[in-house]
Amino acid sequence: MSKVIMTVDDSASVRQMVAFTLKGAGYTVVEAVDGKDALAKLANTQINMMITDLNMPNLDGIGLIKGVRAIPAYKFIPIVMLTTESQDSKKQEGKSAGATGWIVKPFKPDQLLAVVKKVLG
Amino acid sequence: MATATAEATQYLTFKLEEEVFALDISKVREVLEFSSVTKVPRTPEFMRGVINLRGSVVPVVDLRLKFGMTRTEKTVNTCVIIVEVSFENESMVLGALADSVQEVIELEPEKIEPAPSIGMQLRTDFIKGMGKRDEEFIIILEIDKIFTAEELAFAQEATQAA
Amino acid sequence: MSEEDDGLDAGKEAFKEEAAELLTELETSLLELEEHPTDEDLIGRVFRAMHTVKGSGAMFGFDDIAEFTHEVETAFDMVRNGKLAVTKELTNLTLRARDQIRTMIEASEGKATVDHKISKSIIDSLQLLTKGTAAGSPSGHEPAAQKPSKSASGDASHSVTYRIRFKPFADLFVTGTNPILLINELRQMGSCMVVAQIDAITRLEEFNPESCATYWDIILTTTLSTNAIKDVFIFVDDMCDLHVEIVDEEGEYDEAEGYMKLGEILAARGDVKIDELKKLLGKQKKVGEILVDAGIVDSGHIASALAEQQHIKEVREQRQKTTDTAASIRVPSDKLDKLVDLVGELVTVQARLSQTAIIHGEATLTSISEEVERLTWELRDSTMSIRMLPIGSTFSKFKRLVRDLSIELGKEIQMTTDGAETELDKTVIEKLNDPLVHIIRNSIDHGIERPDIREAAGKSKMGTVHLSAGHSGANVLIKIEDDGAGLDKERILKKAIDNGLIAPDAELSEKEIFGMIFAPGFSTAQKITNVSGRGVGMDVVKKNIDALRGLVEVKSRKGSGTTITLRLPLTLAIIDGLLVKIANEVFVIPLAVVEECVELSKKDIERTHGRHVSNVRGILIPYIRLREHFVIEAEEPEMEQIVITEVDDKKVGFVVDYVIGEHQTVIKSLGRVFKDIAGISGATILGDGTVALILDVPTLVRSVETHEPVTADAAG
Repeated sequence: MSKVIMTVDDSASVRQMVAFTLKGAGYTVVEAVDGKDALAKLANTQINMMITDLNMPNLDGIGLIKGVRAIPAYKFIPIVMLTTESQDSKKQEGKSAGATGWIVKPFKPDQLLAVVKKVLG
Repeated sequence: MATATAEATQYLTFKLEEEVFALDISKVREVLEFSSVTKVPRTPEFMRGVINLRGSVVPVVDLRLKFGMTRTEKTVNTCVIIVEVSFENESMVLGALADSVQEVIELEPEKIEPAPSIGMQLRTDFIKGMGKRDEEFIIILEIDKIFTAEELAFAQEATQAA
Repeated sequence: MSEEDDGLDAGKEAFKEEAAELLTELETSLLELEEHPTDEDLIGRVFRAMHTVKGSGAMFGFDDIAEFTHEVETAFDMVRNGKLAVTKELTNLTLRARDQIRTMIEASEGKATVDHKISKSIIDSLQLLTKGTAAGSPSGHEPAAQKPSKSASGDASHSVTYRIRFKPFADLFVTGTNPILLINELRQMGSCMVVAQIDAITRLEEFNPESCATYWDIILTTTLSTNAIKDVFIFVDDMCDLHVEIVDEEGEYDEAEGYMKLGEILAARGDVKIDELKKLLGKQKKVGEILVDAGIVDSGHIASALAEQQHIKEVREQRQKTTDTAASIRVPSDKLDKLVDLVGELVTVQARLSQTAIIHGEATLTSISEEVERLTWELRDSTMSIRMLPIGSTFSKFKRLVRDLSIELGKEIQMTTDGAETELDKTVIEKLNDPLVHIIRNSIDHGIERPDIREAAGKSKMGTVHLSAGHSGANVLIKIEDDGAGLDKERILKKAIDNGLIAPDAELSEKEIFGMIFAPGFSTAQKITNVSGRGVGMDVVKKNIDALRGLVEVKSRKGSGTTITLRLPLTLAIIDGLLVKIANEVFVIPLAVVEECVELSKKDIERTHGRHVSNVRGILIPYIRLREHFVIEAEEPEMEQIVITEVDDKKVGFVVDYVIGEHQTVIKSLGRVFKDIAGISGATILGDGTVALILDVPTLVRSVETHEPVTADAAG
């Protein structure tokens, strides 16, 4: 059973790149376009990890992390946020909300895989 | 030897049977008493074997056999002259049996004549020349030539043929 | 690689489409914003559009776009945070920037050219707007360490041992962090010892599984830097106490004798106070027990400190063994050879001294002689050990060979090694190189199958060549194992018959058949490849191993692989020999090949009608009369001895007059004149100063065989 990772980003190109990289490494990938979409999809999908952007319409990354941590089944799953170098304070905010780690954009496929391996094993 | 001129060379003389031979002293390392030799099987007869030279194993050649005389028998006077020869462009230590060692002499080059090509009873390519002293002829050996590659090839053939 | 490229190309296309949409949306938003300059929703949208263009652009290689957009994003981040007001000037600039971004995207497809002057003027004007405000641009670039990637993991180039204490806060789990993964990450960085500290774990009824009560002490030896270790904990650095200290460093601490005592380690870690420790040290128990008894520190900490002590001891020992640079001096090897020669001479002289002492029977002399004997043996052993080197460096050379060859042949092969620390005489190691290259090449070329064939045979695609070394008595065993196809007995047999190596009706044991692969001119390769089977066969292996007085053994099972074992003497300079005598000549037979000694009477010879075969407990063993072979002219005694040797699973006897006994044989070369004498491998000097020759049993047997073939039956 391959592990399921949800990628949440309003940018289709980022989602595509994340999905492509993770699928290549043998993971199953579920995509969501923003926080609201992600929470909705979580209701009927079982995931092992989430990778989310922070700046998104409807429900941003911080809100999403808080929402996910409120679900008992996802209290301890790894959540990695995608940040840019100009968002140091956001990173802190994300961590307080319960993010496991972060990836700084832009990133390369192997950097993404390294982080996934680090937090998901 | 204090009056040695630039041209004069020193030679060590020794006897094989009743004949006097000489070797360029710069080739001679030392002279040992002949005690025992270990024969290496399946080698030509003139290769008498090996001796222990202060921990090194050194081959010993019977010059009498080499020169077509009879085999050297051990007497109180028998010696091993340790010489350094060049063999295939490398220097090598070798022992040569002599019935007795005589003395060190000096000979000027003009006192040395080329060896006659006949009547010597031994191969002239071993001979550097003939020295003369007190009406006595001394055969000066070209020791480097005694052990040539052909000689070794001969030794190996002998091994295989045996 | 190509998959990644595909992903990148697809990503680029997706980015362009996405950017086009975003730019259209941006235009609308900006125009609306001019009318409602304080609408947060609109500001957010503009910011996100810029943010996405920048982030995704950088990801797919549009660095110029990312850099340019960054300035616009910065401005709108300030607007979002109320630090900058939306003015007509700003929206104008942003619209111009938007157009410029579109031009840049089109330029990437060759549809337009970018006027860098326009870019610059937009950026300058934006910066003028943003700089005027107090805060300046929001935080600058983050340090490289933020990316947990290779770029941050500096290489210390030499191995360093770290003491790491990783003590996560109780609420670590709420961030979804699994501390075990972090520790596993450390384990992959080098040689690692982990001790979990559980003293904070409460009783079960109070236990909260959602809080982290365990912490870890890790001793890690790695070539990576402290920063690389800290990088492992980058996501949790504000959720744990992390201490990383260097406790041992290659080159730095090597002179220090031993490592810190247990108490010192605990004190250095801050687990105990040094004065408390001193107070307790009066008691005569182990420090650890005293401390635990006194309740100062719990057993977990003691275990951890002991682990550190042990780990560093091991690391240092290993370093001593496997590196030749650490705490060592380089000596030209000819100086060593000279030393070995001198020791050899000393051994010889000492043997004479012992002999003399025995003859004289004088008490003082005997005791001096015994003392000299003891010292000589010690000197000999330590001199020999100087020449010993670990075989590891040779092993690692083959990794490259395996890698290159497997690529060349389209095979997937990994090489594993074991016993790299095994020591062998330097000369032996040097001479071992060629045979090993040959055997490994052979394994890769003929042994291990192509991946598709392996898969079809139900094996893993990846083949393995395992190289191992280890001691076995006075010998070193080197094994080359592969999990390939194994040897094909029928094919070897056929080839051997075709090549006239054996008679068509010869009945050979499996061992004998496998032994054929070492016969000169034997090669079963059906096609000649670059790698092996170019005429120089495995006979080179045999020849070289023989020259080292070693033995080769082959085991193979069809379908599951081949193991070739090389049995080598520890050193070339001194061997255990058996002294034998024929008339007045003394010879040495290497004890390694000697099986036993039996008597041979004149009656026995009559019984076999002069044939050179002896019946030893029902087994017929051919023998060689050394007296005849070496042409020693002397009468043989009434009762002779046969020294039975075994080489290549073949038993052959050597008839001698008399067996003197064992002899520590210092091997001397016979020199260039006698270098190719068949049957003699060297000489040694005996106690009385005379020279004895050392028999080279394999070549002796071979030289006799070529003249009077020993049949397989008789050899059985």
